[in-house]
Amino acid sequence: MDNITIKGNKNGIIAYINSGTFDEVKKELQNKIENAKDFFSGCDMYIVDKSMNIKDEDYIKLKNEFKNIFNINILGYNSDKIIEGNEKIFTGIYEGRTKFYRSTIRSGQNVNYNGNIVIIGDVNSGAEVTASGNIIVLGVLRGIAHAGLNGNKRAIVAAYKLLPSQLRIADLIARSPDSYDEKPKIPEIARIKDGAIIIEPYLPNKHIW
Amino acid sequence: MGISIVVTSGKGGVGKTTTTANISTGLAMLGKKVVAIDADTGLRNLDLHLGLENRIVYNLVDVVEGVCRLKQALIKDKRYENLYLLPTAQTRDKTAVKPEQMEKLVNELKEEFDYIVIDCPAGIEHGFENAVAGADMAVVVTTPEVSAVRDADRIIGKLEAKGLDNHQLIINRIKYEMTKKGEMLNIDDMTDILAIKLLGIVPEDEKIVISTNRGEPVITDEGAKAGQAYKNIVRRITGEEVPFIDFEDENTGFFSALKKFFFKK
Repeated sequence: MDNITIKGNKNGIIAYINSGTFDEVKKELQNKIENAKDFFSGCDMYIVDKSMNIKDEDYIKLKNEFKNIFNINILGYNSDKIIEGNEKIFTGIYEGRTKFYRSTIRSGQNVNYNGNIVIIGDVNSGAEVTASGNIIVLGVLRGIAHAGLNGNKRAIVAAYKLLPSQLRIADLIARSPDSYDEKPKIPEIARIKDGAIIIEPYLPNKHIW
Repeated sequence: MGISIVVTSGKGGVGKTTTTANISTGLAMLGKKVVAIDADTGLRNLDLHLGLENRIVYNLVDVVEGVCRLKQALIKDKRYENLYLLPTAQTRDKTAVKPEQMEKLVNELKEEFDYIVIDCPAGIEHGFENAVAGADMAVVVTTPEVSAVRDADRIIGKLEAKGLDNHQLIINRIKYEMTKKGEMLNIDDMTDILAIKLLGIVPEDEKIVISTNRGEPVITDEGAKAGQAYKNIVRRITGEEVPFIDFEDENTGFFSALKKFFFKK
């Protein structure tokens, strides 16, 4: 079995170290890069050490050597950013894992779940709810809600009374108008349409405007 | 076995100490054995509200540190002999007391007193942790301002996280004329956001300022509106069902008095 697996993503090249001592790893990595020297030259590389048996000072040595020999920039190792970037986007917004909260989420409280969230209660101003899927509030939403946390643009936020100070879906942010002229009397849903967050009734045809 | 009540709010200046002074005096007026504890170490004020500042010899920090016995630090009120004050140190800070020590102290007091009323400092840090450590029940004070309501919300969240589920709300300093015009948050708005049981509503009253300066809690003033409201709150704490007074109907001034006089006939 190989000690090293090399993969690429949008951030650069990631070398996963599966096993072996530092010397073995270094030798194998050098061999692999030697085979395609032109391809690797000038690229950004991250190292993820799954076996966790290589010391920090060895990495620094490796970083300097690779810069000199192959012109490769090692930008980081075992950093959270790469590991997080490796996670897949949560897709269970139609059918998937869901967490239920049966209480009011108050100012200063933070609710986070890798999936959908249903809150049976209110979300008060100053509270934060973040989910990688949908957020459904069976009450008043006054705080901040972030649906589709790791990038699902089809995620939605719905509430009996949608009065959030800020709404985020995937990488889009919308804030409330500076003055509410009237409070919503009907349940509403927020979703992304044409690259912007829009708010509309659950069933638009049911109500006369 | 007594009940310990912590009076808290998060935001400063909403009337925690005034509420503590009035609740403890009111309970004493009903013949209960009461001790009021000032947990605001370094910024003590409860002694002023009760008019007992010149009688302090020992304080809460002394008790905790073993300088004196608990009995020595308790100050008997000048009006009601079943009311006591346990003041705190003005020259120390909140870290002088640990939550475990406070809990032990409150439990000791519970053996002897019917009610222990604890005045919590503003904020959510060490002082708050100390004040709520031994409490069985929390009274959350708020005023009709968005900042006070948000802080009260934060405090309720903190109390719930600590497992202190018996919490009730006092709305302080309400001005009925302003809520009627929609210039101030009204009671429904606040109970809607905070979603906890309402213990009482105290109207804005100039007599509060006078009574604080004199060191006589407003509850002892028969004519004061705020005193009446506190009396009702105290009765609700003892388990009585008391309807909320509708201050909105109250008409003051010469003409309305005249009108009342004629219409009564």
